[in-house]
Amino acid sequence: MHTSYTSRHMFLAFPVLVMLLSFASAATSRNYLQVTPLPQMLLVVHISVFLYGVSVGAFGFLGRQYQERATGYRNYLVTQPSLLPMSFKRTFLGMYVRDAVFYLVLILVPMTAGLFLSIPFSGFRATSILLLFGAALITFLAGMSLSFFMSTLYVRSVPVFAGLAVALAVVFVAVGALRIVPANVLLPGLAVQYAVPPIAPLGTDALVSVLVGVGLILLLVGGAVALVSDQYEPKNSDARDELPGIERRLARFRRYRTLLAKELLDLKRSGTPVKMFFSFVTPLVFLSFTVWFVRNGLNLPIGFNTVFYAAMVGFFGISLYNWLNNVDNMDYMSTLPLTVPQIIRVKLVAYLLLTLGISAAFVVSISWMNNDVRLLWLALPVMVVTSLYSVVMTAYLTGLRTNSFLFDPGVLFAFSALSMLPDVGLAILSFTIDADLAFAVTGIALTLGALSLGTLILYRGIDRKWARAAFGE
Amino acid sequence: MPAIEVRELTKFYGSKAALKDVSLAVEAGEFFGLFGPNGAGKTTLIKVLTGQLVPTRGHVTVLDIDAAREPLAVKEVIGIVPEVESPPSYLTAYEYLYFVSQVRKVPDGEPRIARWLEYFDLEDQRRTICKDLSKGTRQKLMLAAAFLHEPKVLFLDEPFINLDPIYQRKVKDHLAEYVDGGGTVFMCSHLLEIAEKLCDRVAILHEGHVIAQGSLADVRGRERDLESAFLKLVGHAP
Repeated sequence: MHTSYTSRHMFLAFPVLVMLLSFASAATSRNYLQVTPLPQMLLVVHISVFLYGVSVGAFGFLGRQYQERATGYRNYLVTQPSLLPMSFKRTFLGMYVRDAVFYLVLILVPMTAGLFLSIPFSGFRATSILLLFGAALITFLAGMSLSFFMSTLYVRSVPVFAGLAVALAVVFVAVGALRIVPANVLLPGLAVQYAVPPIAPLGTDALVSVLVGVGLILLLVGGAVALVSDQYEPKNSDARDELPGIERRLARFRRYRTLLAKELLDLKRSGTPVKMFFSFVTPLVFLSFTVWFVRNGLNLPIGFNTVFYAAMVGFFGISLYNWLNNVDNMDYMSTLPLTVPQIIRVKLVAYLLLTLGISAAFVVSISWMNNDVRLLWLALPVMVVTSLYSVVMTAYLTGLRTNSFLFDPGVLFAFSALSMLPDVGLAILSFTIDADLAFAVTGIALTLGALSLGTLILYRGIDRKWARAAFGE
Repeated sequence: MPAIEVRELTKFYGSKAALKDVSLAVEAGEFFGLFGPNGAGKTTLIKVLTGQLVPTRGHVTVLDIDAAREPLAVKEVIGIVPEVESPPSYLTAYEYLYFVSQVRKVPDGEPRIARWLEYFDLEDQRRTICKDLSKGTRQKLMLAAAFLHEPKVLFLDEPFINLDPIYQRKVKDHLAEYVDGGGTVFMCSHLLEIAEKLCDRVAILHEGHVIAQGSLADVRGRERDLESAFLKLVGHAP
């Protein structure tokens, strides 16, 4: 099924790309292992893998969403129990297993293959690589299972979900900010690695950690499957006629006001903003944790300031554009005098309306928390320009099918180059602010100028590239 | 000038040809039926005619507008009922018609919306979100959306599917009136009995080729009805 995202050959190229990245990172690892102790490096790896697992495991949301949504020409596996003698519980378990295998083959196996290839350069031992693979798999599945459990809980009871989410947030804050709970208590794969050489002598702790990790995964998956409802009764939901009123309030958007009003109403009624909020906040939390870790864990004298955060926030908004493309089917649009570029532009406006305020609030808050408001005059333009550039670049490359096209290695490569190069450039320039303000500001201004020009070129290119694209998949 | 003209149209999906050198013409004020087995290329032809797909080769005009070059101009003057009833999930029935009237810049939208909600007895469900409507009600909504701006040409892909006999009758009556008033209908359907009562001319598409076209009498030939002629032409005669 996943090969439908792109061509078969391009799809198969994705793991190769992961393997090459893993190889390149491992082959040059001697450099950064000199300044970063192995336990802390493993901590970063496991947190990344855990968050990745969390981001791909929220199957619970699928049931009601895809059951209820008018799905046009598509037919989803998740809807089959309505038609065939299958239970939703087994179907969801099947989806969990399917995606676990999918991401294992797509990411973890090629990553491990890259590590093996790097042995002549990195000097890693094969047993260490296999151990990392096993431990990372436990951490990944723990993240995926937690996400699966929480999403099914959300469908059953929002208050219980909210309570547990707050409790989890407290625990993770206790780990990250307060260091009351060691990270390996929460990340079972990390606990395994902390219980074996070279960090600790081999003993029963490692076996116990593996058993605890596997037990936790089974518990979460079992709990999630138990919570899956075997019936999704459609709600006969009536609503006030809100579209004309919203449209009137958006009169300043002239020819886009109707489409924009519909977009915002779709978001409101589909409950997507909650998902969007979490997918925006999660990387911000991860970023804050990483900065904290580098400052306090590694004691590295890197000057993370408000401008650095502003650049990152701008680039993190990309996932929100993807959400906007997944709210509803768009097949019916093909019956109206509308084009794909028109709808892309509407989604860009919706994105900016939804995110600029939140991004600005985050940048102002983080500058206030870090006593760094002196740089807000520079940080806010950085945030605005990088936000605009990122979303326009994503829209240009992926149109209305962001989720699908980002699995195309060609698109992914262009996306990575076009996002990471300016992002890294701005981050490095932000680090030089305290040493040479004039140099940093000049460099940042030139980068923002180039990004603005790039935004304009890509925005105009959307018409040419997507003019004859069809709606729907 | 024909309302719809197709000349030597070919459409490939990758290496697979869905339509092969299709040529046909539909006059203004005509009710034209297109029939064919599953996978014959009927929906592809409708999508090309309505500017939703670009032909690989050939020439397609609707009301003298090149559908390949000016798909938006074509969509402005036609109404389309797609094969699958898929109105937007999160708008109410009224909001969807309001949305269509605004996108199409229908000058007197509200009275027309009221008329079609009444025609299809949708007033009680005007505030129901489309995802919660039954398939039949969604189909009525798609029909109302296609009729709303009083287009000169209607492209209907299986318009009677999911409709109960009451609304099949109402839609048939409306389409007959519409054609009497000078409108043109291009319809794909598997319901040959209904089609036989409505169509002036028909074509049969098989494996991407037009294998027969003309008046009902021409295509029926010596067979007793259109169904028998159809089965014989596509090689499935009993």
